[in-house]
Amino acid sequence: MAHHPQQEDIEALADSLSASADALHARLMRAIRKPAPGAPNQPGISQGVAQALFENEVALRQRANGLYLDAAKLAAAGLGPQSQQLLELTARAQEKIDQIERIKDLVDIAADLLAVGAGVAAAKPEQVVKPLENLKHHIEAL
Amino acid sequence: MKLPRLFLILSLAALLGGCASSTPRMAEVREFAAQSPKLNAYHELTERYCSTYPREQPFLSAAADQREQELDLRRKDACADFLKLHTGVTAYMQTLGTLAGDKQYDLEDQVKGLSSGIKAWPDTGLLDRHVNAFAGLARLLARGITRQRQDNAVNELLRDGEQPVHEVLDAMQTLLRLYDKSNDNEQRIVLGMLETEIPYVDAERNRLLLALAKSQQQSKTAEYRLIGLRYTLARNNLDAIERSHRALAGQVPQPQ
Repeated sequence: MAHHPQQEDIEALADSLSASADALHARLMRAIRKPAPGAPNQPGISQGVAQALFENEVALRQRANGLYLDAAKLAAAGLGPQSQQLLELTARAQEKIDQIERIKDLVDIAADLLAVGAGVAAAKPEQVVKPLENLKHHIEAL
Repeated sequence: MKLPRLFLILSLAALLGGCASSTPRMAEVREFAAQSPKLNAYHELTERYCSTYPREQPFLSAAADQREQELDLRRKDACADFLKLHTGVTAYMQTLGTLAGDKQYDLEDQVKGLSSGIKAWPDTGLLDRHVNAFAGLARLLARGITRQRQDNAVNELLRDGEQPVHEVLDAMQTLLRLYDKSNDNEQRIVLGMLETEIPYVDAERNRLLLALAKSQQQSKTAEYRLIGLRYTLARNNLDAIERSHRALAGQVPQPQ
């Protein structure tokens, strides 16, 4: 299938934003883990600075996720006709299944007819009653 | 040729024909159709994607929360379509499975009824072997008619379904890939918040907070690792479905 070029462009842009956020995060964590000068147990940057940097990282990821959503919408768009076609196909095949099941009924009816025919050939009317009932039942069930 | 001998030959042919109850090709089609429950993973992962916001929310700043709410509205809006995407393919696969069904065309019961119906009338002059031969012939005919119909119906559905199924599966693959990437960002927002805040917790004064934060970090890490595996599995399953569908559709004879 020919991919939607726009969808691929948008996805690529989102990928690069995500990668930037990854780089930002790695840099941020390095700064936090580096001991503060004169206070070896303290993070290397203040909590306020860390939070502001992380806020940028989150914003980048949210922007990327917004673009992934746009790309997903493009990928799913225009597939209405295909889905519709599939549902129609499925409905048509369903009809076919029904038709084939009617052949089973035909065979049943043929058996009933044969039984009736055999009863008539044997000239035993009392033995025809049940096959006749069966046949009527089968035809009514169709 | 005398009539009884003809019956004998026919019944022999029917016996031989009766050995194969289903063609290997129909078994292949059924095997393909049996994979349709694997499409459920797409549904579940789409639902998970659609509910990104409540999972992220506790970890967001006020400004980020505002942005995420807008994104959440757009995501929910699109999700109705994303969730519908696989229903056509699922219905298609299930129908194909029914069409290629083992029992669908098994007329053995009817054929048995046919011969027992005749046997009930010994005075007609029909000998047992005539009855058997007749039943064999009926079986052969019934199978001949329906086997041909079954092949035609399955082939027609595969031929007509090839292109739309391929396109929908392809779109589902793309969506799963995009959900996966979006999930990566969600994971890094959630775990990143914990990772950047934990170093600032005073270990002496806030022991409980630190313990809870670290415990949450562990369980969230495990959760995202599991989801990552499910994405991989779902995408591999879709690949497998697409491959076997292509293989089946490739075997369909062209219409004359």
